[in-house]
Amino acid sequence: MSCADNKPRYRELWGEGLWNNNVVFSQMLALCPLLAVTGTATNGLGMGLVSLAVFVIANLLVSMLRGVIPSEVRIPAFVLLIATVVTLVDLMMNAWLHELHKVLGLFIPLIVTNCAILGRAEAYAYKNPVLPSVVDGLAMGLGFTLALVVLGASREIVGSGTLFANAHLLLGSSFAFLETTLIPNYGGFLLMILPPGAFIMLGFIVAGKRVLDRRLKADHSTQTPQPMSC
Amino acid sequence: MIGQGVLKPSYTQRPGFFAGILGMMAALAGTLLVMGFVATKEDIELRAREDLQRSLAEVLPAGGYDNDPSADFVDLPRGDQPPLRIYQARLGEQPVALAFEQAEPGYSGDIRLVMGVSMSGDIIGVRVLSHTETPGLGDKIELAKDDWVLGFNGLSLTKLAEARWAVKKDGGEFDQFSGATITPRAVVKGVKRGLLLQREALGAAQLEALQIQSSTERMEDKP
Amino acid sequence: MSQTLISGPHTLASSTVSRTMLWVMVALLPATLWGLYLFGWPAINLFAITLASALLFEAACLYLAGRPVQLTLFDGSALLTAWLLAMSLPPWAPWWVGVLGSFIAIVIGKQVFGGLGHNLFNPAMVARVALLVSFPLQLTSWTAPAPLFADGSPGFIDGLAITFGGLQIDGFSGASLLGEVKTEFTTGKVLSEIMPGGMEYSGPLWGHTYGSLGETSALLILAGGLLLVTIGLINWTIPASMLGSVALLATLMNLVDPEHYPDAGFHLFSGALMLGAFFIATDMVTSPNTWSGQLLFGAGCGALVYVIRTWGGYPEGVAFAVLLMNALTPLIDYYIKPRIYGRDRRGNPLTLDKVEGDHRAKEGQA
Repeated sequence: MSCADNKPRYRELWGEGLWNNNVVFSQMLALCPLLAVTGTATNGLGMGLVSLAVFVIANLLVSMLRGVIPSEVRIPAFVLLIATVVTLVDLMMNAWLHELHKVLGLFIPLIVTNCAILGRAEAYAYKNPVLPSVVDGLAMGLGFTLALVVLGASREIVGSGTLFANAHLLLGSSFAFLETTLIPNYGGFLLMILPPGAFIMLGFIVAGKRVLDRRLKADHSTQTPQPMSC
Repeated sequence: MIGQGVLKPSYTQRPGFFAGILGMMAALAGTLLVMGFVATKEDIELRAREDLQRSLAEVLPAGGYDNDPSADFVDLPRGDQPPLRIYQARLGEQPVALAFEQAEPGYSGDIRLVMGVSMSGDIIGVRVLSHTETPGLGDKIELAKDDWVLGFNGLSLTKLAEARWAVKKDGGEFDQFSGATITPRAVVKGVKRGLLLQREALGAAQLEALQIQSSTERMEDKP
Repeated sequence: MSQTLISGPHTLASSTVSRTMLWVMVALLPATLWGLYLFGWPAINLFAITLASALLFEAACLYLAGRPVQLTLFDGSALLTAWLLAMSLPPWAPWWVGVLGSFIAIVIGKQVFGGLGHNLFNPAMVARVALLVSFPLQLTSWTAPAPLFADGSPGFIDGLAITFGGLQIDGFSGASLLGEVKTEFTTGKVLSEIMPGGMEYSGPLWGHTYGSLGETSALLILAGGLLLVTIGLINWTIPASMLGSVALLATLMNLVDPEHYPDAGFHLFSGALMLGAFFIATDMVTSPNTWSGQLLFGAGCGALVYVIRTWGGYPEGVAFAVLLMNALTPLIDYYIKPRIYGRDRRGNPLTLDKVEGDHRAKEGQA
């Protein structure tokens, strides 16, 4: 975002958040909740959506208050804001999304320590107007959700042979059709559901993304010379 | 970025100013949190109550009672341990069954059970609330993994002699799992202990006395 | 002016990767053949499929990485990894345990780190632990020895059915000695009740006991290990310190309370300890470089084995212990470095005065 004209480029924001600068696959941040909850795609989706909400609200608040917060105390102020938002989300989930809260409960307060959220507040929202900050929060949060769902789904398929198990607890009974058993009579590959499996699977996914990026880049550079953007 | 090139008033450089800003934000955050807490308090308590009702309904006779057992309980003192909370299911005014939690050390950590026993001492149901047994070996005690735990249904200390309350390896009646003996052994032991508790400590008269005592206590609690 | 070509003053060492691997395999051979004989056709099937699939995965990885396949594939390293893995598996385990184990060992344990020499952890033990954690049932189903061609042992067809068809034959399964003792302890029994006649050594020494394919005969493994030490392929340091620390801890605890802590002989000759001490912990890639580092490494392995066996959740802890100490190897190598020629132990150059002084002192002695 070093453009001189300082005009927000929303296309760029989306690309950064979802792919190029993805919280997990590129920045390698927020691995603690990622590794802890991605035993199933449903849990990943739930955690992702909660984090998405916190991303957006935290960016919104920081951007709104950036004229008030002196830069000398901005970090404690960010932490205070994020902790408040997370605690409120935790309370509301306990009250109104109780089943999901029972599964994710332990990890929701840990969103406070999700360095990616603090990182976006510091790197983007504190320096940009409200609307681009919200879009940045959305993009980063969706990127994070995408990572959680992809990792959760791949671990769930290998680990227990199902996909989106217990989705009705998260999304309501109308989404029960998502719950599929891909491999019937599967004994289960426990390692993949346990934390080491998350590391192994994450490694394979990150390697896959790098390979894909390299191929894309090679294709791109042979076809059209990339114009120098600012 | 902020205020670059603009001369800031000198008071914005004093520590007191930073403290004030942070203090104001903390006060704001505190207010928000209190509002959130108050708004969700009742619903959270309701959810906890629903959880309890659901796990009790699993081990009590379906349709065999018409009260709310989660609100009808007695706290039985147990020496130095925390008191055992016993939930009662009634049909009309007549007690039909009791439900209570039991904890028994398994292969790694406590296995928490909830069990329902009819007034005649027959087991209505046993469920495992939480455990940390080896996944794939000891977790067959969960109903979601295996129906082993249903094997307790209908048994009592009179129908099955006390010595037979053990896994087959120890000369008892219950299957152990291949590769895991300690876990089912612990569950059987916990269930048996629960039955002994029900039989010995909960003679009808004593229960009645406790019942009166605790209900008067609860009456006093009410404003 | 005539010139004669003289080759540079370099000595060619006779040791190569494949030569080293070959010698280790030779040392493993007696225990392996004995294990295959004792556990019959299912064990032979499992052994074969584990080795074959390891070669396949190695070839696939080398191809994907764009490296010469033939050259590296047959250096024996993949074969040895799979061999050690197969020896640590229950002999009648189903075929997919072997194949999946090979995949984990070769692909995740070795090739993703960059291939032979780059892996941080012992690949065979990575696979063993991953399998044990994921499939506790299959990995703890031990079989009684049912020697080839003996009465009642499964024949060739039955062997295929056991390995590939999931056939279960009653009457052969049981608990390993370590597992048995551990389970009995939990019921409050003491050692004199569990083993009334004291420890029976002939089973574990010769391999007539419940256990993994190749680790039940402590004597044959010991013989193979001593061969490796004799020809100088491995140092005596790691086996000695590993076995020594287990023996020391076991003896100490046994003296304190003989009814709850088995003696050193029980620990030394049961489970995977012998195999681990001579063939697994001594892996050159994942153990420290210096003698003192190796002594520390071995002692750490031994202590962890004893702690896991005695107080841990699993009856056997050799694989866990070796992996944990593998993780410490870079740290040990960081603090305990070999002395570089011309420098002292701290890496400071020796001053010329000192060298001359030493020289004179030596001459004086002479």
